[in-house]
Amino acid sequence: MIFVVSAALFLSIYFSLTLYILPEQYMSNEKLISEPMFEVTISEKEISLGESFNVDIITKNGGDYGDIHILSTAFPNVVEIDETVRITTYDFTQTPVKVIPGDEMIARYSGGLEHIKAKYPSIEATSRPIHPGSTYKMSQIVTPETVGNFSVLIKSVNIPHTSDLSHYPQSGILDHQGEFVQVYSVNVNP
Amino acid sequence: MKSKSVSLLWSNYSEHVFLIGCVLVSFGILLVTVGGSWDITNHLLSKPDTFFSPPHAVMYLGVTISLAGTVTSFLSWRKMQEFKSTYFVSLKSSLIGIGLLSSAGPFDYIWHSNFGLDGLLSPPHLTLIAGMFFCAIGGMIGISKFLKIIKSKYHQSLLLLLAVMPVWLSGSGIISSLSLPFSNTNYFQFNPEPTFALISATLGFPLLISTSCFLIFRLSGFRFGMISLLGGLFLLIYSSTAIIPNFALMDSMSFYSLNLIPFIIADLTMFFFKGKKASMFAGGLLGSIFYMAYYPYVMYTFNEVLLGKLVSPSLIYFVYFEMINDVFIITLIPATIMGMLAVFISEKTAKKILEIRR
Repeated sequence: MIFVVSAALFLSIYFSLTLYILPEQYMSNEKLISEPMFEVTISEKEISLGESFNVDIITKNGGDYGDIHILSTAFPNVVEIDETVRITTYDFTQTPVKVIPGDEMIARYSGGLEHIKAKYPSIEATSRPIHPGSTYKMSQIVTPETVGNFSVLIKSVNIPHTSDLSHYPQSGILDHQGEFVQVYSVNVNP
Repeated sequence: MKSKSVSLLWSNYSEHVFLIGCVLVSFGILLVTVGGSWDITNHLLSKPDTFFSPPHAVMYLGVTISLAGTVTSFLSWRKMQEFKSTYFVSLKSSLIGIGLLSSAGPFDYIWHSNFGLDGLLSPPHLTLIAGMFFCAIGGMIGISKFLKIIKSKYHQSLLLLLAVMPVWLSGSGIISSLSLPFSNTNYFQFNPEPTFALISATLGFPLLISTSCFLIFRLSGFRFGMISLLGGLFLLIYSSTAIIPNFALMDSMSFYSLNLIPFIIADLTMFFFKGKKASMFAGGLLGSIFYMAYYPYVMYTFNEVLLGKLVSPSLIYFVYFEMINDVFIITLIPATIMGMLAVFISEKTAKKILEIRR
């Protein structure tokens, strides 16, 4: 009899804690918000056709722990990315992926609910998971193939995307994915 | 006369070596299953883009140990005289299993090389899991029969933990493959249909928890403590491979450790009451807690049907706890019934395993 009562008591405690008390407590915890940010150094403002310039990017998670940190560098003036952009160094945990026009991409920070077809090429470097304060670097050598204004669009997005702080920049120009980018330009002379 | 006694001694020696082989097989499979669970977490958190990762190293070390164990068992079995037919089923199962496991390694490597990252359910992984299960069964039968023959003492019967745990974990691997939505890749869409996945998890996991616990209870000669120890070991392995590596889940360890309570209560119930009703209660109880025992990944299966949310690793527990009440209500009756059914299955299985033929 003592055992039956004790077992009933312990099972009541167990089911109360696991089904009601602890879930309520966990659900009330604030969700972690990771905050990406980056610094970009472009080696030249102006080059002649046939010359190259360097793009050096340092990204950082300035917020909480996050699952995925994405750095995207896109090239709206480029047709063949393999011939124009070369990654020299990177320390992201995943091998950077080249996206070519027509590839399906996630749009508007939707985490996979909305998609678009890429209009221009880009390189996506990813690290996962990302701890607070962690930094990653990537350097590229770019050799434009046409004369004129050459643009590089750079942005960073962290997942889970829980607020406006989960992407960088947080305002400005929208790219083909409907996401904010910082634009860097180099003038290519004949 | 002298040659007969030497031959008997040699036969007895062979049985002990056969046991060592079975222990190696079971330990190897335990490593494979632990590595497998760690690998799932590693894929979710870090998404490694190479075949050569630490969890894969643990898994293939386990395969090597199992292979050594199977060879040891085979060589010693050939020298046996008295219990040759008794141990044959164990050996046969291990041989089938190791055949599948050995072929899964190169198959997996070729698959990775041609199709990149594969999902949880893929032909090489299915071969690997099937091999694990057969080997684990072989190891369990061999160890159980040996302990029965020598009329084991309590401390010796603790070896059954090593025998049953790999069966439980590799069985979990089969059900997880059929229920978790981790199998779509760029090349193949192997994710199970969501409703089928939900049914597989709701019926499979409770059956497995309860069968494993009652199997060790019966194989050990109804010894007190075995259910608690097995349950505790399962929780320890699962938490160290699926919860602790995920930084965002760390504070839910207190929730997960509470799951030891039902195992202890089932154990005490079987200690104080020996009848069918007590078995039904304990079996049903163990079946009913599957959603809690398989935290956190079982959430993905139920999320597909109930919420359909996008879940990245740090959001796992928010979605898990959002559904816990609904899942408990929906699954309580079928899970309890499966837990009770497991009592009968384990009874028949244990009887079959403990049959001794000379």
